[in-house]
Amino acid sequence: MKPSSVKYDFEPKIIAFVCTWCTYAGADLAGTSRMQYPSNVRVLKFPCTGRIDPVFILKAFQQGADGVLVSGCHPGDCHYIAGNFHARRRFAAFRKLLEFIGVDLNRLQFSWVSAAEGGKWVEVVTDLTERVREMGPMVEFKELALEEQWSGAINTPELKETYNAI
Amino acid sequence: MNSQLIDTSIYADISRFIRDESLRILLEGEVIAVVGYAAGRRKGSVQPIIACDTESAGRLMFSQASVNNLAVYLTKAKKEIPKSGKIGIVLKGCDLKALVGLIGESQLKREDLYLIGVPCSGVLASTVHPATELATETIAPKCLECDAHLPTGCDFVPDVALPPQQKSDLKYAVEIARLEALTPAERWAYWKEQFSKCIKCYACRQVCPFCFCEQCLCDRNKPQMVETTPRPAGNTAWHIVRAMHLAGRCAGCAECERVCPMDIPLNLLNRKMAKELKELFDYEPGFEVNDKGPLASFTDKDDQSFIK
Amino acid sequence: MRKYISRQNLNTLIDKLIAEGRRIVAPRMTAGTPLYEPLGHSGEMIIDQLPRRSAKEAFFPLCEEIMSYEKSGQQVKLTDVDPSRFPETILFAVRPCDAAAIPVLDAVFSWDYKDEFFLERRRKTTVVGLACTTADDACFCTAVGLSPSDTKGSDLFLSPLEGGGYNVESFTEKGEALINSCSDLFAEESNAAYIQLANPQTEAFDLKKVKSWLDEHFEDQLWDGIATRCVGCGACAFVCPACHCFDIVDEGTEKAGKRRKNWDACGFWKFTHHASGHNPRDLQPKRYRNRIMHKFKYYDDKFGQTLCTGCGRCVRICPVGIDIAAIVEEINQK
Repeated sequence: MKPSSVKYDFEPKIIAFVCTWCTYAGADLAGTSRMQYPSNVRVLKFPCTGRIDPVFILKAFQQGADGVLVSGCHPGDCHYIAGNFHARRRFAAFRKLLEFIGVDLNRLQFSWVSAAEGGKWVEVVTDLTERVREMGPMVEFKELALEEQWSGAINTPELKETYNAI
Repeated sequence: MNSQLIDTSIYADISRFIRDESLRILLEGEVIAVVGYAAGRRKGSVQPIIACDTESAGRLMFSQASVNNLAVYLTKAKKEIPKSGKIGIVLKGCDLKALVGLIGESQLKREDLYLIGVPCSGVLASTVHPATELATETIAPKCLECDAHLPTGCDFVPDVALPPQQKSDLKYAVEIARLEALTPAERWAYWKEQFSKCIKCYACRQVCPFCFCEQCLCDRNKPQMVETTPRPAGNTAWHIVRAMHLAGRCAGCAECERVCPMDIPLNLLNRKMAKELKELFDYEPGFEVNDKGPLASFTDKDDQSFIK
Repeated sequence: MRKYISRQNLNTLIDKLIAEGRRIVAPRMTAGTPLYEPLGHSGEMIIDQLPRRSAKEAFFPLCEEIMSYEKSGQQVKLTDVDPSRFPETILFAVRPCDAAAIPVLDAVFSWDYKDEFFLERRRKTTVVGLACTTADDACFCTAVGLSPSDTKGSDLFLSPLEGGGYNVESFTEKGEALINSCSDLFAEESNAAYIQLANPQTEAFDLKKVKSWLDEHFEDQLWDGIATRCVGCGACAFVCPACHCFDIVDEGTEKAGKRRKNWDACGFWKFTHHASGHNPRDLQPKRYRNRIMHKFKYYDDKFGQTLCTGCGRCVRICPVGIDIAAIVEEINQK
């Protein structure tokens, strides 16, 4: 495969939280096998999916991620025996909460990718990147970050102009 | 729907029973203190008291304004309450569920407690004056969905006949269904408006029996996971974190929603999570002590349809 | 200067000022809760409910940016917020208990350090008070030396009349300027009877006596008795018109961020938590004691004023029913 030469108007930022034992090794395999996948993904390595706190996902969105991927060992393969089983329940609950708050779950992907599944890693990352690209930027959290309480707000047009010029 | 009065005639008898029993256990030295309710200055108002002597035990009572979940005083976060001996505590059914949860999380030992259960027809909503009569319009919404009017497994329960409970609209269920039917963008707009009112007074955290952490994640600044500033970004993060930390633990006492000075419907988040955990893992808080909640345990058959 | 304005003309006045680009802050409903917020038009104003939070945030916001930083390469760029850019504001329909707190706050914000953020907003804000017709059993303004018709802190004061409209009295140049800017909307003072005002059922405290008791009783059983039940939230301080503690935080990333000033409350355990880990107010009764001491002793020591206007907000919202009026009454009886 050759790297795509197509230029897009919008390149999404994807944050991937992965476990070091399976998915990180799988992504490594994809790299050493010279497989191509979108460079939109930024990989963060954790000891185990059980260590990935839902607040990390929240923080990623707040810091400007357009999509988030969480990936680890297949059930039964966890290096710490049960970390991914705990993570599975936790994320099943967390995604319901995010959905209820109004986050589009198409921006959040969970997957099991083993150390041998370089191909699956490429597929998961490519799918998520293309899906998020179609959806456009995640503006909700970014807009929120720009808002102040009314009492701290500078809310006349003249002031806004001056303020933006600073 | 027309408002119908709810029979609270048993509360006078319950008050007498609570006083008599508390005096007995204090005088006989069975407990060092009884955590209960006493009347306040304003007409009908009630406040928690920690009765260590017969004078204060004589002020104990129960009424439709006995809204507080007193289990919060037994947690390690509340260092002001003596922990050097057995403690008596007055509990409604919903409060008992929270206490049972704390026992399950190894925060309390059953043998250190003397539980006085209250047969409860319901308490007032936070929006009405404490002297209001209890009716289907003035009752706390949680009481309409209550399945725990009569606590079980207590050391003492006043011997009164609980009047039949009236059924009414289930406000939380209806509101959750309404929100679920909206688009993500509409739900986001709804919560954005609600959360923007938040002033970060942390009353929701401080009254929650399950928020007993020595240092809350949201009070930490190295690293700072949640912005402490009371503006929309930090508020939204705080309420998501709060709801997630209570998922599978919340016993449904709805204290967070009652105390919110800005009227944010916080219990909607808790009820939504309870509903999902019921569907996903068949878990519901009750009067039985569970060593592990739904998010602290697993099976190898758990749903993973959302995982690629 | 004494004048009359009809309710309709009051609305016209507000709409006219909004059209002129002035910021009008008044009680309005926000997601079901009455708050002092900027109005879009006069129809949004509600006057029959006490806003849940006080009017202090018109001068002392819940949170405000005071500086921002940005790093590019080896350069760090700091940008101060310039208070002279704050907008001219008119606060409408402010309850006497809220208005009376403003001059009290002036003392602390213009003391050894001049807080330009507060003072500039103060200079640019005209306060239009409104006599209070709604009180409940949590109100105790009469106990701390104020009343439902107290004009302290108001530049202009509206007294509602039987048959509608208000008699308007101005006390400052700012108040007169507001009348003169739209003098055609005002008429001569009316002789109509005043509407029956609120009547809080509280006896006046002997504040000197309360203070002298507090002078002597830093350690007392009373504190344990009343405040063991305190759960340590900041709700009372945040709804209070006179509480003014704040915390300064830097938030952002290593590349860019903001320094903000946020409300803080002495009820929080973190309020006096030292970097060493020591906390001089280690238990809740000590924190609650500070609330009473600050309001009825320390502020009096320093500025000769009481830091409580009897609005009753903390009494209404306290999660565990702590009633400051009952506590001060108890001290008063000692």
